[in-house]
Amino acid sequence: MSLIIRNLHARVKDGAEILNGINLEIPKGEVHAIMGPNGSGKSTLSKVLCGHPAYEITAGSVEMDGQDLLSMSVDERSRAGLFLAFQYPVEVPGVSNANFLRAALEARLPKGEEINVVDFYKQLRGRMKELGMDTKFTARAVNEGFSGGEKKRNDVLQMMMLEPTYAILDETDSGLDVDALRVVSDGVNAMRAPFRSFMVITHYKRLLDYIRPDVVHVLYKGKIVRTGGFELVDYIEAHGFDFVRNEEE
Amino acid sequence: MDFPQNMSMEEAFALAEAEAKLQQALNESRERFDQAALPDRLNEDWRFGRPHRHAAALAELFDTPSCGEARVLRAGECAVPVSAEDDDLRQTEMLMPTIGSDALLGLHLQQFGAGYALYIEEDTKEPIVLEYSTDSFYAPSTYIMVAPGVKAEIEERHTGNAAESALFATRNIHVAEGAQLRVSLRSSGFARHMSITNIQNLGGRVSHLTQHSSNAWTREETVAEIYAAGEGTETRLYSANRLTGSEVLDQHTRQVHHVGGAASDLLYKNVVDDSATAVFAGNIYVAPGAHHTDAYQSNRNMLLSEKATIHSLPGLEILADKVRCSHGSASAPMDEEQLFYLLSRGIPRQEALQLVAEGFLADATNRFYAAETND
Ligand SMILES: Nc1ncnc2c1ncn2[C@@H]1O[C@H](COP(=O)(O)OP(=O)(O)OP(=O)(O)O)[C@@H](O)[C@H]1O
Ligand SMILES: [Mg+2]
Repeated sequence: MSLIIRNLHARVKDGAEILNGINLEIPKGEVHAIMGPNGSGKSTLSKVLCGHPAYEITAGSVEMDGQDLLSMSVDERSRAGLFLAFQYPVEVPGVSNANFLRAALEARLPKGEEINVVDFYKQLRGRMKELGMDTKFTARAVNEGFSGGEKKRNDVLQMMMLEPTYAILDETDSGLDVDALRVVSDGVNAMRAPFRSFMVITHYKRLLDYIRPDVVHVLYKGKIVRTGGFELVDYIEAHGFDFVRNEEE
Repeated sequence: MDFPQNMSMEEAFALAEAEAKLQQALNESRERFDQAALPDRLNEDWRFGRPHRHAAALAELFDTPSCGEARVLRAGECAVPVSAEDDDLRQTEMLMPTIGSDALLGLHLQQFGAGYALYIEEDTKEPIVLEYSTDSFYAPSTYIMVAPGVKAEIEERHTGNAAESALFATRNIHVAEGAQLRVSLRSSGFARHMSITNIQNLGGRVSHLTQHSSNAWTREETVAEIYAAGEGTETRLYSANRLTGSEVLDQHTRQVHHVGGAASDLLYKNVVDDSATAVFAGNIYVAPGAHHTDAYQSNRNMLLSEKATIHSLPGLEILADKVRCSHGSASAPMDEEQLFYLLSRGIPRQEALQLVAEGFLADATNRFYAAETND
């Protein structure tokens, strides 16, 4: 079982192509890191996988555990086990974090069933403690007025609560302070399991020192141009992306 | 005139006098009705509110007596039923400012004599809950008088019980110096709902919230008059409504600063779906000499359908100096990114739409409930 992306092409509606034929397979149980210069298409890839309406898929296919991901609606994909921790989590005024998470969890239950509120709050508080979040965040509107780092933590909290099988972390490390980075990484590591995989998008080795990837990919101009092991991370940290730029020319 | 058998001369005179007074009041309101024009589309205050269809139909309802039920559901020891003989209350109603509905007020006065007067002289420990309900047509009046330094919370509910239910309420709210009042009006289930509210702030803090739901047509006129300055006085007006189907909501507000150095704030929010229409016309009036006034007014609308209509007309009339006033209006569809965020967490579309829409309105209701009523 795995997430298989084949020859994926996508563009902004009526705009230029951003993804130019991505091929990628993430088997269950593995952590794949995706690196690449600014604007290479990392966030676009993650949003396209979730079904963001701004993008149009012009070719290719995505299979998630044998299902045709691209034919599913955004919410179906999530309930089927896909999760994206956004590079820029969105503020949702007036909707409390707790109600938001409850709605998300309830959507996963058989019709008509409700979650046990006591258990829910217990679990929520436990997870927040793990992430070093103040429990007052349960009553606050989703991400509204949160600091950059608080938003990132809140997205990770959602991941922990929703327990996806395929989790994408888009620059979750950016905006986190040194301690938060460790706490969040510990949380992610605790979730690593043979039945779950991660796609970790980052610019920095520091995060990958905590969350050791099994495979490292380099995305450049909408294509995977390199795949390797941790040595690729070390190389990029030392030399940047000139090697892929030079190769392309 | 028939007098009861064993009535003294004085009693008979008093009764005759009262009846004469009542007759005079009726004549005056009749005159008022005859002189004022009925709402029509050429009237600036009614332009978008479908007066031809609704105001006229409402006026016709006054041919039959108003009929409904007024109840105090909770904590209403201070509530007194309004009677047709109460001349002071009738006079108060006669003096109410309207925003284009003088003629309709004249009709209301002719049926005067239903509703409740609340004389609040002690802090309310729990909210007073009033309800007016009808399955035909009802024309109640509410009077709320909060004594100096007293803290009160009131919920007024208007419930329509039949498809053709109509209600036309007048509401006079007096907030004395140092008093604190949080008062809401919720209406639902009417073919036609109309309210004229006059808030007189004499130096207290007042927060007012209206929420109209499931009314085919709603007309709201809310006038807040501020008569005292100072740190401790504040007038806040909120409204939060969700319109569906072909509902029409026609809201008109005025923040009248008679004296300087006072603050008022208004936030009216609507979520407008289907082919519904929301009209907002607000005005901040700062009287000559009312310097250092601090007044805000904002109308925000979320449009959920291409067929939904918004008319937003915020306005200012400032006749004083050193005034801080701002008004604004914004109407936009639901933010795609917000919706996507909820969907991406597995929340089904209908529910996600509902949550984002409620969240948008919560801004107004939260501010109402957060409004200070302490210390
Ligand atoms: N909705 C959009 N509208 C217009 N252009 C877009 C949109 N989404 C992405 N792009 C463009 O596509 C390219 C890839 O953007 P993307 O956000 O995927 O890059 P990224 O690899 O995540 O970069 P970073 O490392 O800076 O986060 C950029 O040039 C960006 O401007
Ligand atoms: Mg990005």
